[in-house]
Amino acid sequence: MTTAPTRTVPPYRSALHPAHAGFGRLLRAEWTKFWTVRAWLLVLAVAAVVTMVICQLGANGSSVSGGPPVVVGPGGEVVNDSFRFTHRALTGDGTISTRVTGLTDRSGKGLGPWTKAGIVVKSSLKPGSPYAAVMATPGHGVRMQWNFTHDKAGPSSDLAKAPQWLRLKRLGEKLTGYTSVDGQNWTQLGEVRVGGLGRTVQVGLFVAAPVREVVHRSFGGTSSLAGSGQATGTFDHLTLQGKSTDGGWAGTDVGAPDPNGPNGQPGTTTVSPSATYTLTGQGDIAPDETSPDIVQMSFQGVFMGLLFMAALGTLFVTSEYKRGLIRTTFTATPSRLKVLAAKATVIAAITFTTGLLATAIGFTLAQKTLRSNGFRPPEFPDLSLLENPALRAVVGSAVLLSLVAVLALAVGVVLRSSAGTIATVVVLVILPQILSFALPLPVAQWFLRATPAAAFAIQQGLTYYPQVQHNCLPEAGCYPLTPYHGLTVLVAYTAAALLLAAWTVRRRDA
Amino acid sequence: MRWLGSLHAEWTKLRTLPSTWWLLAATVALTVAMGAAAVSSLTTRVCPTPAACHEDTVKLALTGVQLSQAICLVLGALSMGAEYATGTIRTTLTAMPGRWRVLASKAAALSLLTAVAGALAVLSTLAVARLILPTPMDGATLRAAAGSVLILVLVTLLGLSLATLLRDTGGAITLGLGLLYVVPVLSHLFNSPTWQHRLQRWAPMPAGLSIQATTNLGRLAIGPWPGLGVLAAYAVGLLGVGGVWFRLRDA
Repeated sequence: MTTAPTRTVPPYRSALHPAHAGFGRLLRAEWTKFWTVRAWLLVLAVAAVVTMVICQLGANGSSVSGGPPVVVGPGGEVVNDSFRFTHRALTGDGTISTRVTGLTDRSGKGLGPWTKAGIVVKSSLKPGSPYAAVMATPGHGVRMQWNFTHDKAGPSSDLAKAPQWLRLKRLGEKLTGYTSVDGQNWTQLGEVRVGGLGRTVQVGLFVAAPVREVVHRSFGGTSSLAGSGQATGTFDHLTLQGKSTDGGWAGTDVGAPDPNGPNGQPGTTTVSPSATYTLTGQGDIAPDETSPDIVQMSFQGVFMGLLFMAALGTLFVTSEYKRGLIRTTFTATPSRLKVLAAKATVIAAITFTTGLLATAIGFTLAQKTLRSNGFRPPEFPDLSLLENPALRAVVGSAVLLSLVAVLALAVGVVLRSSAGTIATVVVLVILPQILSFALPLPVAQWFLRATPAAAFAIQQGLTYYPQVQHNCLPEAGCYPLTPYHGLTVLVAYTAAALLLAAWTVRRRDA
Repeated sequence: MRWLGSLHAEWTKLRTLPSTWWLLAATVALTVAMGAAAVSSLTTRVCPTPAACHEDTVKLALTGVQLSQAICLVLGALSMGAEYATGTIRTTLTAMPGRWRVLASKAAALSLLTAVAGALAVLSTLAVARLILPTPMDGATLRAAAGSVLILVLVTLLGLSLATLLRDTGGAITLGLGLLYVVPVLSHLFNSPTWQHRLQRWAPMPAGLSIQATTNLGRLAIGPWPGLGVLAAYAVGLLGVGGVWFRLRDA
């Protein structure tokens, strides 16, 4: 008896192993899922249009009326350049040395930490002209500064305890600063090249006392008390080697404030028989950080745009959970991390492209409006879209929008509910901004450092220099972190959310 | 009797959703936690002496409402959006064909629930704040406390009306958060005092929050009660528009 041999038919298997389906195919699948939902394309378009329109509206509502003429430094930036100068002309090379013996407050409002007393080599008496200086300050030790934006720290000796020797040597365009505690042993502070000095320069002693501003803030509003700084510096052992005019030392208030204005107190220079020079002056030699930031003012629409991006990032994943499509997705591609990576890549690319388009057009339109509203050069120099800070702000805002979408996607994977996800992301990104306007200043600044709202720092066009005393007020658009550091905070939040999403999506059933 | 029946039905729907209780618990917890944190942040660096301190301590203690109103918005939007998402709305409307009645019962059940949770949140916040700082207990404080509860109720109704209009939870929450949060951010950053003032007066969140002020009332862009009235106008007005659409459209 023979039995017919039974043949087992192997079940059908795709020649393509699911786990090995290339990442490219996965990206295509996710892209198809995105563009075939008409409502999402509509949301994307609305996001772009709303962003541009609000950028334009924000610019429209801002205007500036002509103030006093501004001083522009050698680098094209707006600067403060007013100080008491006791000077004489120096032709060719030379060296000036002195000993600073004291720096005292004359305004009765306390000595600002950046009050300056020292020696300077300046191409002319015209405000904004190139210079290099070494100085003693009450709060920041001995410094060498040149051309307004550059600052180099020296020894942090305190002028109140011991006098400070300073020396500045000129050799063509090369300027070398020295400091000493005894006038015998000199240490070099720095050696810099200052262009455009010319053959004959003005050298001498100077005193500058920046305006001191104390800010009180509360729910009732912000009030700032500004005291016009005025300080007196005393110097002795003044020597100048080199070819100089015979006229002796002359006193000038460089960039003198209006003598009839509220801050107009002319400076004085007195010389005692023992060759002690006493200079009283006010003003500052530093970049001006009080003018409005026309880069930041062109990006109001991003706040509204990110709302839509957060919604898109959320729906891209939560709608799969809602409709059960996620089970099909995971059956087709069992590697869940790959799905997550593909989803994140697709949504990041889509939102970045749309965001870049919206911010670039929005910025250009807003700039045009701002120009016609009175924001004109030289106080507000023309900005090229392909140069920083405009480039950084435009691309950075697009990156911000796409990071918010990816953050929403990751939170959506964890929470699996669109309501909770959208609320969480928007509260994380926007609420700190609102609270920072109202809460006490230290807490407000902490909010803008530690929450994703820090990323809006990327839209700042003004550079805040450490050598300028500045009250960073959130309502004035100031963020305590530098642009790139601010954006990094959001990157960190997004990365953390993605890690959490990767961990939960692997552990849980779909 | 019919009204009582529909109110009971809505109450049952709300009560049996676990998310309702989670959201209400989060409202209370976040309001108290954030209020305590905000009050603790008041150091001597900010306020050297009580006389030199211009901070409104009651308003500071009630900062948490700015966060927990987002949760109330979610609660309101979910109560209608979830019915559309799951299709329960068709069952609801088959059982209770009076659409205005459905909407009104929903609004009533939600208001009641949020008012109780809000009162619990605000009272415990003020109690905690009193442990940290000497906050005054006067008429203005009472107004701020009652107003904060009303803010939470009105924002819940705002969520409900937006979800009724859009028939989608995600859309309603996005729009609601935009209205609440993004508009005030823009108002602060606009470089034009006229527009700042206008938005402070007519945007729902800044206007509503003016009820929390207890000092410096003269510096407010809009008075406490008129401000709350603006928020109420948004919530009730949109609820009316939502009701009309709800009445006219197929479910």
